[in-house]
Parts: sequence; C-alpha cells; structure tokens
Amino acid sequence: MKLNRRQFTLTMAGAAGLAGLGPLSKAFAARDNEMNILCWEGYNSDEVLGPFRNANSGSSVRAESGTSDPDMINKLRAGEVNVWDLINLNQPWARDQLYPENLIKPLDKDRFMPYFEKMMTGFSDPYPLAFADDGNLIGMPQRFGPFSFVVNTDKISREMAEDEGWNLFLDAGMKDRYGVLTYDNWNVIHMCLTAGLNPFEEVTGADAEKFKATAEQIFAGSKLLSDDLVAMNTALINGEIDAYFTGGTYTASPARFDGATNIRGITPKSGPVDGKGGVVWIELTSAVNNPDPSKLAEDFLEYVQAPEICKAVAFAEGTYNPVSQMGNPDVMARFDEDELDAIQWDSLEEEMSRSLDYQVVASYSSLIEIYNAAKRG
Amino acid sequence: MERLDRKLGTASSLPLLAILLVAFIAPMLVVAVFSAMPRKVFSVFNSPDFSAYAALLEQGYYRSLLWSLGMALASTVILFVVCWPLAFGMAKVFKRFTIVLTIAVVVSLFVSENIRLFGWVLTLMKGGLIEGHVRAWTGEGFESPLYSVPIIVFSLVYVYFPFMLFPLAQGIAMVPDDARQAAADLGASRWRILFEIDLPLAAPGIVVGSLLSFVLAAGALAESKILGGQTVIVIADEIETAFTYGQDWPLGSALSMVLITIIAALAIYGIAKVDLDAIMGRKGR
Repeated sequence: MKLNRRQFTLTMAGAAGLAGLGPLSKAFAARDNEMNILCWEGYNSDEVLGPFRNANSGSSVRAESGTSDPDMINKLRAGEVNVWDLINLNQPWARDQLYPENLIKPLDKDRFMPYFEKMMTGFSDPYPLAFADDGNLIGMPQRFGPFSFVVNTDKISREMAEDEGWNLFLDAGMKDRYGVLTYDNWNVIHMCLTAGLNPFEEVTGADAEKFKATAEQIFAGSKLLSDDLVAMNTALINGEIDAYFTGGTYTASPARFDGATNIRGITPKSGPVDGKGGVVWIELTSAVNNPDPSKLAEDFLEYVQAPEICKAVAFAEGTYNPVSQMGNPDVMARFDEDELDAIQWDSLEEEMSRSLDYQVVASYSSLIEIYNAAKRG
Repeated sequence: MERLDRKLGTASSLPLLAILLVAFIAPMLVVAVFSAMPRKVFSVFNSPDFSAYAALLEQGYYRSLLWSLGMALASTVILFVVCWPLAFGMAKVFKRFTIVLTIAVVVSLFVSENIRLFGWVLTLMKGGLIEGHVRAWTGEGFESPLYSVPIIVFSLVYVYFPFMLFPLAQGIAMVPDDARQAAADLGASRWRILFEIDLPLAAPGIVVGSLLSFVLAAGALAESKILGGQTVIVIADEIETAFTYGQDWPLGSALSMVLITIIAALAIYGIAKVDLDAIMGRKGR
C-alpha cells in the first residue's frame, strides 16, 4: 500500500486524538462523586450497593470483589491506592501488612466507636483486633465465622469430628477420603494446629520438622486439592470425599442453605493453643490511604451498620455468614430459621469460644515454603 | 518517491511500536528486573541478588516445570495424532462439510474455558452424568477418573483442540494434490506419501499448530485445578501462588522468566525452521 502525506497526517491526528481522550476524561472526574470498594464478594452485590447508590445518586459507586486477601493487597501494592477508597479483608492482613505500610489509614473514632456497643459479645468490648498497636481504629468488623474443617455428618458424626479434631486427618482410615481446600494461608495455620503447634508463634527447628511431616502426610492422604469451595462441597455431597481440610460456615453455608444440612463446619473441642483448636476469621473494612480520598468512604462504612444492610451483607451472594451486628435484636429479627441454620447459629457461640483469633502467622514465610514443597509432592 | 514511501511507512508504524513497547516489552522487562531482586521485596529499587533463582533450584520447583512441560508435550503429541485425519479431511475431502465442522469447533470457543471444564467435572464425577446413570441402571458404581494426571492431559487435549486443528488443516491445504498424485503414480505407498510428501509440505501448519498448543498447554492452569484436583502442581500454579499467598514477587517473576525463556527458545527455533510466509498466504513479494 502506498501512503501519501495527507493519509499519513490524518492517521496521526486520529491517533493523537485517541491518546488525548484517556487523561482528559480522568481529569474531569471529581473524587467526591465516586467511591470504589475492593472487597470480598457480597459487598459488591446489588442488595448492598443499591440503596447506597440511590441515596447518593449522581455519584459513581463501584465495588469489585477479590478472590483472596493477598490478591487484593497486591493491587494496593501495585499502586492502586489512588483507585480504591475502602478495602475489606481478613483482619491480620490489615494489621500486619496494610497499616504498617501506610496503605490504609485510621478511621474517625468519634464516628465509629458507638457502633461497637450494639455488636455481639466478643465484638462489643470493643473488638481488640480492630485496633492497631498505636491504638488507632483501623477497620470495622462485620462478617466473621469459625473456620477449621468441614465434614459430611452422614459419614462422620459431628460429635466424633469435634472430639477427634485435627487428628481426624492423620487417621490412616481417612486416606483418600478427604480433600484440601487450598486457601494456602489458612492451610498453614491448620497444619500447625494439626501438628500440635501454635501457628501464631515462631515455628522453627524440630517444630518446623513436625510441621513438614504433617503437611506431607495431609497432602499425601488427600484425594483432591482445590481452591474452589463449590468443588469441595460438590465432592462432599456426591460422596467423593467425606471431609475437607480447611473450611467452616463460610464454605459450608451455601450447601446448607441449599438443603444439604449434612454438610457442617466443625470446630475441634480441644487443641494445642490454650486448649483451643479452632480458628475464627473476622473481616475488617478499612479506609484506603487514597491521596485523593472520597468522603463517601466513611459514609458507606456507616451505612453498612444499618440493620437491613447488615442482613444484606450476611446473605448477599455466594456464601452466607454471621455478622457482628447480630447482637442487635433489630438485626436478628431479619433472619429466618433456615438462614440461621445455614450459618450454624445453633452452635456459633460454642464454636467461637473454642476458636482462636486469626492472627499473623509468625513464621509464615518459612512455613509457606515448606507447605508449597509438600504440596508439590 | 520510494524513499518518502519508506519514511512514511516507518513513521506510521511508530504508534504500533510504541504500543508494543508499553504493553508487551515493558511488562516483560519489569518481570525480568523483579526476578533479580532479593526475596519478598515489592519494589524494583533494590540491589539485585538473584536469590529467587537460587530458591527455584533449591526448592524443587523444577518438578512443577517438568510436569507442565511433560503434560504439554503429551497433549501436543496426542492432539497431532487426533487432529491429523480430521484436518486432512477438512483440507482435502469434506468440501462443504468443512464449514460445518469449523463452525462446530469454533462455537465451543464461545463458552468460557472454566465453564466447559466444569461441565466435564459434572459429567465425570462420582454421581455425575455418567457414573450416576450407570449406578442407577446397574446398581454398580465406579471410581471417577477425576483428579489424576491422565484426566489433566485429556482436558488439555480437549481445550486446545482448535489450536492444533486449524493450523494443521491450513498446512495440509498447502500440499499440492499433483505432488501426491505424482508420487502415487510413481508407485509410492500410502505411508511413503505421508512421510515424504504430506508431512514435509504441511510442516508450517504442523509447527504452528504444535507451537500454539504446546505453549498454551505449558502455561495452562485451569485444567489441573478443575479436573485434576491439583494432583500435580503445574508451573502456572506455582507462579500464581508465589505472587499471591507467597507474597514473593521476585520468586514469581523468576519462575515466569524460566517459563518464558524455555517457551521463547522453542518458539524461535520452531519458527526459524519453517516458512511462515507460506502459511500466511504472502507468497510473492
């Protein structure tokens, strides 16, 4: 093809025009008219966002759900602090990684402290891990749940599973009868507990060897690995496996709400850390340290404390979870019997009392290497 | 006039070159630089120590790499054997029916890979479409083939089928019928025609198809995760883990660099061997 000067100039002008559009459109967007939330699934649902959007018509409210805590943290690390206004993560990440690295900022205590009063026991004191070591409030807790392992109670009774605890997975008779839900950071915690170790203290020397042996045994005995909770529940329901390592109300609730109430999250009755063997996760929603912050961020955090929105957050989509605001009778009244059964409300308090707070795993970097090597087989 | 034409040609390719530079070369460079950084840092402004590469050797990551490359090789060979007769038919025999086949294969690409793989899980799992029916009819069930290495290779073959089939058909279409007929007239056996006429003359298609399916399969992740139950950990899985749960960007980058280098070497070697212009239909210059 022959080009002449005129065609060439036209092409270049078009290209320049296109290139100019990008930065221009950005310059016209004002930060008070938009808010972006990076969250676990649920906060991005229409039930939660719809009323807020209506109340703030004219503003653009966008939410994106991540698939793991570290995935979302990577986004902030990669420079997306100027995109997001709120981030919703499990609490140790906020305390250990985001706050020390200035990726999130403290919340207004005067505005948010009163909300703790109406929360469930354990949260109302207020919940200590919502605060950084310097005393600042770094996030608001809402969804939470005991997280240890899940069994099919038609095959393994709840009582037996609770009594056996993590030893269930070391039993020779369980070989090829369980799966591992590969939420790697959780697997590390649970494998420490299975090995009789405290995951929240340094694990070195002989203890690290014990961890290694346990990790190898658990992977060797597992029938399948998957990071997909639906795949795990399906395998559990169709009898491919009888239990899965790492799981809880968060993963069992969708199957339970669908009628498979024989799928149940189990919290061991005893364990190596102060007699406790279960773990509980608690999400914190924190304000991102956006250089150009949106004032809607804290408005939204306040908005999700309203009873009808609490219910919407608990039963949004995908998974169903208790919320700390269920200490408020107005919130409780919004749940029916099936919903409470899906989130194992009957045993929630008991399970919480047998669970450790999910904290930073002290030797995470060395343990995750051992873990990955064991997974490779 | 000729000179002006060349100048304008170069100038108009500049925007595309700029896009390539920003969208393709720059990210690769960042990954390359990151791979040299000390472990677990999140910035490229550190002094390089290549410790991630050391970890890669010490911690048995070669096993995942070998699994990925091995399964990619197996699936490519199987794909070639399975696709050859079909591609031959499409190029030389089927005539109008070829379009039906083409549409049928292409339509499968309209559905997301993950959804198609989940379809296979529902088909093959215990109590699924096959085992469930067999058990209902005969009372006898059997173990599902899921969560094993053969099923991963099967799913690679299934997913990358079109990527072998179409280049192969294109390559076979380039074999002149006269050459085959002449060989037959001179008394060559069918096998001899296959090995001395069809295969060499269809080589560009074979190379392109094999490269496409091998490269894609070597970097595949969903197959081993969804159907394979991570019974083996593939290299793409390790890379994802390093970047996410491992929070070790240099390790993830080093793993990526190793995979990129191997695949780039293979691709350059393969492409250098064949006349790509022929298959792209640019014969004269």
